[in-house]
Amino acid sequence: MSKEFFNAFKMAQNQFDHIADMLDLDKATREFLMYPMREQQFTIPIRLDDGNVRMFRGFRVVHNDARGPAKGGIRFHPLETIDTIRALAMWMTWKCAVVDIPLGGAYGGVTCDPHDLSMREQEQVSRGWVRQLAKYLGPLVDVPAPDIMTSAQHMLWMLDEYEAIRGEKYPGFITGKPIGMGGSQGRKEAVGFGLIFTVRQTLKELGMRPEDTTASIQGFGNVGQHAAELLQQIGGTVISASCWDQKDQVSYCYKKESGIDFEELSGITDRFGGIDKDKASELGYEVLPGESWLEQEVDILIPAAVENQITAANVKKISKKVKIIAEGANGPTTPEADKIIADRNIFMIPDLLANAGGATCSYFEQVQSNMNYYWERDEVLGKLDVKITNAFESVLELAKKKKLCMRDATYYIAVVRVAQACRDRGWV
Amino acid sequence: MKKVSLESLTPFDRKFFTGKEKFTYLGQGSIGGKAQGLADIKDILADLNSRNSSDIQINIPTLTVIATDFFDLFLKNNNLDDIALSGMRDDQIAHAFQRGELPTQLVGDLHALISQVHSPLAIRSSSMLEDAMFEPFASVYTTKMIPNNQFDPDIRFRKLVEAVKYVYASTFFKGAKDYIDATKHTIADEKMAVIIQEVVGSRHNDRFYPQISGVARSYNFYPTGPAKPEEGVVDLALGLGKTIVDEGIGWSFSPAYPQVNPPYNSLGDLLKRSQTEFWAIHMGEPLSYNPIKETEYMQKYSLTEAENDGNLRFIASTYIPGDDKIKIGIGDKGPRVLDFAPILKLKEIPLEKVLKKLLEVCEKRLESMVEIEFAVTLDPDHGIPARFGFLQVRPMVVSQERVDISLEELSADNVVVASESVLGNGAISTIQDIVYIKPEKFEAIKTTIIAKELEKINHQLVQAKHPYVLIGFGRWGSSDPSGGIPLKFGQISGARIIVEATLPNMSFMLSQGSHFFHNITSFQVCYFSVAHWDKYNINWDWLNQQKVINETQYIRHIRPPAPLRIKVDGRKGRGVISHE
Repeated sequence: MSKEFFNAFKMAQNQFDHIADMLDLDKATREFLMYPMREQQFTIPIRLDDGNVRMFRGFRVVHNDARGPAKGGIRFHPLETIDTIRALAMWMTWKCAVVDIPLGGAYGGVTCDPHDLSMREQEQVSRGWVRQLAKYLGPLVDVPAPDIMTSAQHMLWMLDEYEAIRGEKYPGFITGKPIGMGGSQGRKEAVGFGLIFTVRQTLKELGMRPEDTTASIQGFGNVGQHAAELLQQIGGTVISASCWDQKDQVSYCYKKESGIDFEELSGITDRFGGIDKDKASELGYEVLPGESWLEQEVDILIPAAVENQITAANVKKISKKVKIIAEGANGPTTPEADKIIADRNIFMIPDLLANAGGATCSYFEQVQSNMNYYWERDEVLGKLDVKITNAFESVLELAKKKKLCMRDATYYIAVVRVAQACRDRGWV
Repeated sequence: MKKVSLESLTPFDRKFFTGKEKFTYLGQGSIGGKAQGLADIKDILADLNSRNSSDIQINIPTLTVIATDFFDLFLKNNNLDDIALSGMRDDQIAHAFQRGELPTQLVGDLHALISQVHSPLAIRSSSMLEDAMFEPFASVYTTKMIPNNQFDPDIRFRKLVEAVKYVYASTFFKGAKDYIDATKHTIADEKMAVIIQEVVGSRHNDRFYPQISGVARSYNFYPTGPAKPEEGVVDLALGLGKTIVDEGIGWSFSPAYPQVNPPYNSLGDLLKRSQTEFWAIHMGEPLSYNPIKETEYMQKYSLTEAENDGNLRFIASTYIPGDDKIKIGIGDKGPRVLDFAPILKLKEIPLEKVLKKLLEVCEKRLESMVEIEFAVTLDPDHGIPARFGFLQVRPMVVSQERVDISLEELSADNVVVASESVLGNGAISTIQDIVYIKPEKFEAIKTTIIAKELEKINHQLVQAKHPYVLIGFGRWGSSDPSGGIPLKFGQISGARIIVEATLPNMSFMLSQGSHFFHNITSFQVCYFSVAHWDKYNINWDWLNQQKVINETQYIRHIRPPAPLRIKVDGRKGRGVISHE
């Protein structure tokens, strides 16, 4: 399905509507939660290295902050649209609620392709984004974090710009900072590890041993790499990983039947998650078309790239062997595909739950930064495991009790909590 | 005996006290000897408990075992193999291990555990070789007690993690390495599982301890009065078991004759030898932060404090100076004697019946003589219902060889050491090396230095595979440096004969092997106790005339021209070491 036909916000609204019907949510609450509370769209003028000035479109959307300061990533992506950002902000609200952290949901971004920008130009984009929004951001208002094609370095530039504007130190202004500069231990691994914590619990639920499972991953960025790392550590075998090839402008899937060597493959991966095709071939990896990640004979599929990847058009290519899909990316499965997956009795770990490790660890970083006191890595990952596992078990319990699919159960818990917070505050 | 397999145990489900199963595990691999012993016995205990009267509830305190695969991962992820196998000092190894991170797969479970538990925990070693060899490595590795009562779960988590890493590090401490070297294994073969276990006891002000801790053995090398060796022996103490296991202090009795006091010369002697202090977990502000100290959260208290806590009623008697007699109970004023008379003589609690039954069922299950460790808490007003926490069961290796030693042999001209208070049994004629503390140089305030010197010589002899006779003063393994040589068994692991002696100017109370009792029996080490007033003694003149191989400030290592002849009669507790 091409981008022009897919509207992520529409999808997010439909998902909410479905749950609102189930909950018989009152009209005011439904209307309030259907749309963002606040939106900003603006232009960031940047003087490029060649002397020309170019305009970039920037966004920040706060969907809901009834449960606490808003929280959400910033992505730099050439195909970024306000509707994608709206959807991501709404999903953030639910995500924070389902893992029960006291934060609301927001998202932001800039329409740009960092591959085409020098580091200096990226710094200017980062600083420009903060300048436009400074008065709407802050540790107690709205806390940004990295996402697609933004890194710890971008966060640090943004923090520096914010502190320069405010004239004070605010380590809790942003998360995803480098360790030693206000960043949290374990933040880098958090999404991937959190995802595998949910896979581990699912395997227990299905009575499967990690040692007997194989997996295929879409995307070998931060999420995909750490998911592969921990899955292998608990005994599973990842046989293929796909990624975007910037040079060829297509995606490839790298496969090794005996299992990819995580350290070997990450050693030939660039900072955007792109695997070096030639080196991978030399190391004995089969190079397949990107979409073949979905067709592998594996037990677990992990879409960990971008939204809208498992669709009605390709869902039938999923092997009969697949028992679990764990959504590392936000919104990788369309509702039509979701229905077919449910009919096939594949256990779906929805994005809100599967990739909530990032939001949870961001919250931990925020807490540490606000205290200016930092925890050890095992402490962070221990807390993360407990939070994610508890959230998973609550969702699973509700799903069984009310005979819901995991996605509906996840939304159900989240929407109930957010709606309750809005009511408690007297907003609706 | 068929051992219980890991598959038949229940994985930890993040519910420590509230879960249905009280014996769980984390990870894969081995659960180690200590945990395996408990796993093998747990169903029998449950059955026994269900058939037993409700006066004493017997159970294994709630525990979860971190299996050895996490130990492997910890070493691998933190690149600790080289440090572990290096010759670095124990504290350097411990610090390096503290810097390591526990595996990601483990920390979530530990965090979940600690979030629910606010009471003290014991973090115990459970070594794989201990299991593989069916031999106990008592006092070789570390157990750490943590109060676990901090309000903040993050602090509790950190303390738990520190304790686990400390137990991991103790696998590679020098004493442990030398201990392993004395076996057919190498330290690289060793893997450590860790038991996280509820501590049996109750809190009184800033201390947490059981009213009774004890060790019961189904074979007694020192039967007195009407008792027979196979009737076993029990040692009881107030507070944590460290008093018995590490300090050798406690009230000793035969389960067949619980009313019979241990032998003593006078009431004054009995008072002097009985327990006057006890160990407890310190629940208040930590005394000092030291994650690489075994007793970081442990403290000694006096009997007065236990009396103030209301904990002497069922375990103490009172010395009446005017009558020069001991009166059962604490109704009168006077010095308290921990003789457990209300239980053993007045039978207020049927403890000895439980112990006899437990020794019997454990022997049957392990198909061997056994040693068990336990802790008991009593109802403060009535004593019962009581809780009997079963902490450990280990096999005892007892030599059955018949050795006869006549009285003439004990006083022959070629005797180097003779004693009528000897542990062990058998005849040896292959040992040629003797390591002894020079009596003329010995000072009680230098025992820590002496321990270090001994450790070095032991290391050399273990490497050279030369077993030796060790002769020294005071209680071997004493935790009080002024009462003997403060070391762990691993530091003298190459000694096949250990002699503890007194000097005319330093009249130590001898341990008679109680500190290392299990090591001694499992390695079949013979243990001579020689007081300077005894009829038989040590031939220092002969020792001083032999060829010196190595000499330090306090120690001399000699090698006579021919192997020594060593005989120990376990039935009579008689032993002699003779030269050619």
